[in-house]
Amino acid sequence: MTNNLLLKVENVGIQFGGLKAVQGLSLELFQGELIGLIGPNGAGKTTSFNMLTGVYKPTEGEITFDGKRTNNMSPHQVTKSGVSRTFQNIRLFKEQSVLDNVKVANHSLAKHSIFSSVFRLPSFFSGEAKMEEESIKFLKIFGLDKYKDELAKNLPYGMQRRLEIARALAAGPKLLLLDEPAAGMNPQETKDLMELIALIRKRFDLTILLIEHDMGLVMGICERIYVLDHGQLIADGIPEEIRNNPKVIEAYLGEEVTE
Amino acid sequence: MKKSKVFWMYFVAAIIVYAVIQGMITGGQLDQYYSNLLILMSINVILAVSLHLVIGITGQFSIGHAGFLAVGAYISAICTMKFDLPFFAALLVGAIVASVAGLIVGIPSLRLKGDYLAIATLGFAEIIRIIFLNTDYVGGAAGMPINQLTTWTYAFFSLLLTVVVIANFTKSRHGRACVAVREDEIAADAMGINTTYYKVVAFALGSFFAGLAGGLFSHQFFLIQPTQFGFLKSFDILIYVVLGGLGSLSGAIIAAVLLTMVSMYLTDFPETRMIIYSLVLIIVMLYRPSGLMGTKEITDYFKFGKRSKGGNLDDK
Ligand SMILES: Nc1ncnc2c1ncn2[C@@H]1O[C@H](COP(=O)(O)OP(=O)(O)OP(=O)(O)O)[C@@H](O)[C@H]1O
Ligand SMILES: [Mg+2]
Repeated sequence: MTNNLLLKVENVGIQFGGLKAVQGLSLELFQGELIGLIGPNGAGKTTSFNMLTGVYKPTEGEITFDGKRTNNMSPHQVTKSGVSRTFQNIRLFKEQSVLDNVKVANHSLAKHSIFSSVFRLPSFFSGEAKMEEESIKFLKIFGLDKYKDELAKNLPYGMQRRLEIARALAAGPKLLLLDEPAAGMNPQETKDLMELIALIRKRFDLTILLIEHDMGLVMGICERIYVLDHGQLIADGIPEEIRNNPKVIEAYLGEEVTE
Repeated sequence: MKKSKVFWMYFVAAIIVYAVIQGMITGGQLDQYYSNLLILMSINVILAVSLHLVIGITGQFSIGHAGFLAVGAYISAICTMKFDLPFFAALLVGAIVASVAGLIVGIPSLRLKGDYLAIATLGFAEIIRIIFLNTDYVGGAAGMPINQLTTWTYAFFSLLLTVVVIANFTKSRHGRACVAVREDEIAADAMGINTTYYKVVAFALGSFFAGLAGGLFSHQFFLIQPTQFGFLKSFDILIYVVLGGLGSLSGAIIAAVLLTMVSMYLTDFPETRMIIYSLVLIIVMLYRPSGLMGTKEITDYFKFGKRSKGGNLDDK
């Protein structure tokens, strides 16, 4: 494994009105790592993802991805520079087929113009064929190829979660951000999914940042873990250190008491 | 290639329909009344299909389509009446100017969402109308007399071009990007789609064809007046798209054809016309709340053996 710094987040924060949802967030992700981001409800995990992907503009701090400052990029620019994500609340293109969902993410793979598409020039046929082939490849990895013509909304829940990852992968990321990918899945589905994540990470040479509530799961697969609470980083380190960190235990115990 | 074969099959069928009708018009089997009806139908279908691209495909609730119709109508009329350009060129200029108007309106207003976009586009259409109303060069409120140049041939081939372009656009990576914007703008953006670009493209393309329809429209009725392009006209077009089923191209076409007929038959009963028209709409919305075709296409019903694209997992 090379030791390339892929993502550097320095002192990033965001404020909504008077609420500091995240502050002083600093992360370092190296090429090929699988890192966990955990924390109780409302800690600011999803908000952090939104800042990393350009959905929210941080009110302070610097985000550098692959040597480029991404603070002020719009989401599609961030995606093109090599970051893609899934959403905590599934956001598939519900009325599009499973295949088309992936094709949308494959958009920039082919270059045929609007003119060529409208008048069905040869570059349209070759471009579309390439997209189809590539998209099916992603569906196969996730066992979704047999559903390719179904509308995304008609897939069972677990499959929808998988499709979201397949779609994010089709966007060609170097860094994949997964926001609670196993939420709502049963233990077997979760286990399969984690194996799959390990597999795609190898196969596509990915760096992965994973938000997950299930502590056991995160401890099991992540190499390092960052812990957020009330918008602030309270700990980071290898799973063993996190497990025994009194601040982390307190943050999580606090949550369990209120739940 | 199989897909292009299907395309040529449709194309040949369309040409046959054209030739048969043209033959009947020259042969005198179809009188003025019916040929006018057919031309009006074609114009309305062009309007419906062009708005379908904006609302049905890209999900941008624009309700000022009559504004672009007006731009095409007036600009092409100026071309033929004041500059003696050939009709063909006038149609093209009208459509191009309408699409430029689409860009000018679209770039700032497509950042707005939902109701705000609707209000902005409606406001724009009114501004266009008022500009023509106050321009003496085009006759102001009295209107502008125009030679009748629109023929079945012009109407038909304009219609064919519109449907082919928009259908092909929809079934390409560009059309999928537009549908993705409609389905979930945040997710589309996150997948690398430049959502603003595609909204503007859809809007400009839709305006182009509305402008084309405008040219056919103004050269069909001897006289154009700003009152013909008020918000009621915008709503007429909107109704084709909603009634046909948002997202369904064939739905928009069928709705435009049916409503043109209903409205033509009802011209003899002006008092009851709006009542019956409204009743038709209410009945359709009660029994088919997602429009005549829902999101399906007419071709989905012919794919026997194959599962339809809109089908559920369990209705195999
Ligand atoms: N657009 C927004 N406007 C105002 N407040 C926001 C906005 N987005 C997030 N917040 C607030 O920021 C805080 C962090 O929310 P966030 O969704 O990031 O939490 P989370 O760690 O992902 O929690 P969960 O585990 O429940 O998903 C919350 O208090 C939330 O209400
Ligand atoms: Mg969250």
